[in-house]
Amino acid sequence: MAPQDPYLIDSLAAEYVLGTLRGPARRRFEKWRSTTPLVQERCRFWEENLMQLAKGVRPIRPPPRVWQGIRARLNLAGAEPRRRPARALAIAASVLLVAGLSALLYWRSLGPGKLVEVATVATPTGSQLWKVDVYSGRLIVHAGQLPAHRTDRDYELWALPAGGKPVSLGVLPTTGTAQRSLTAVQQQALANAAQVAVTVEPLGGSPTGQPTSTPIFVAPLRASS
Amino acid sequence: MSAAAQSADLDEQLQSLLDRCAAADASALERLYELASPFLFACLTRILRRRALAEEALQDVFVSIWQRAGQFHSSRGRPMAWMMSIARYRAIDLLRHERSAPVLVPDLPERAESADDSKDDAAPWMPAGGLLERCLALLTDHQRNCLELAFVGGNSHEDISRLTGNPLGTVKSWIRRGLQSLRQCLES
Repeated sequence: MAPQDPYLIDSLAAEYVLGTLRGPARRRFEKWRSTTPLVQERCRFWEENLMQLAKGVRPIRPPPRVWQGIRARLNLAGAEPRRRPARALAIAASVLLVAGLSALLYWRSLGPGKLVEVATVATPTGSQLWKVDVYSGRLIVHAGQLPAHRTDRDYELWALPAGGKPVSLGVLPTTGTAQRSLTAVQQQALANAAQVAVTVEPLGGSPTGQPTSTPIFVAPLRASS
Repeated sequence: MSAAAQSADLDEQLQSLLDRCAAADASALERLYELASPFLFACLTRILRRRALAEEALQDVFVSIWQRAGQFHSSRGRPMAWMMSIARYRAIDLLRHERSAPVLVPDLPERAESADDSKDDAAPWMPAGGLLERCLALLTDHQRNCLELAFVGGNSHEDISRLTGNPLGTVKSWIRRGLQSLRQCLES
């Protein structure tokens, strides 16, 4: 028999939303919720409020195959997936715009799985913002100590190949490390690039595949011994 | 733009996209996916731990959002809370069969850091400051830690007991009291 006590109903709703109501009790609660407006209302209360607990969760861009799978399952036509950066972590430029950039890139001998170049992006005062490691076929970006930033924009890294259009190397992370595979186009662009650039883009990176704003940082690629 | 205004703007945008999904506009689903999938995927990955399973769950979630978009109205809450609930409940369903080991929540910001940096790091749909943050701040470290392990990591009472090395009864009590404290604070 379903409980009538509002306090008990609320306690069950809270543990259901939190995820600690499990097993048969969870399934019974779900059936009850589907037919009882008061239970639905209490679940919404907790869904709205407990969401704040996930504040520290950093977004992860899913691989393109997920969207392709959704389109296939729903028989959607005409919604072509765009080429997206591998990972979107929201940052913006308000403070960093005033910071300068110094970048050093070290070319090393090419080889399968070998580190082929390194870029260090730092402020004029020497605070490292990002360290970019390019392996053959793979890019690893380590975020350093970034100053306060807005959350409604991303930074995107670009290779600037000589005589060609910029080629996106993906969105830069704000914390931790981001890894992604490099496409043949990206590898070719890096091999022909004399510079890399950073632009401020909408969340998830430029929707057009080309920079939508003027680069805020441009850094030379330098060969190293 | 203030964090609150950004958050309201995004809610409006998400609501409009859900309305268009309800009218079978596939381009709206694509845009919704672009906006919401990174956060939902991160939540799913935290709970399910296996990337392939999280990808499958994310597909389920967006199929469900597409099919149920007409049921959502902003009067019933915030769009991201609704979508996040669909994702979390799907993940918890999958856990019934898929997981045997508890999950740590290793990269949540430390309490000391979040006091200074949380507003900058928060996803735009997370309202910064306000009543809720003040209420969460009233919890003990044990209570908040248990709530995070459950909500973000998808851990059961038993998982949390094993993870924290505290007796099951103590964990249940911390969670119950933490939720009571939040309720009193939010509704006062």
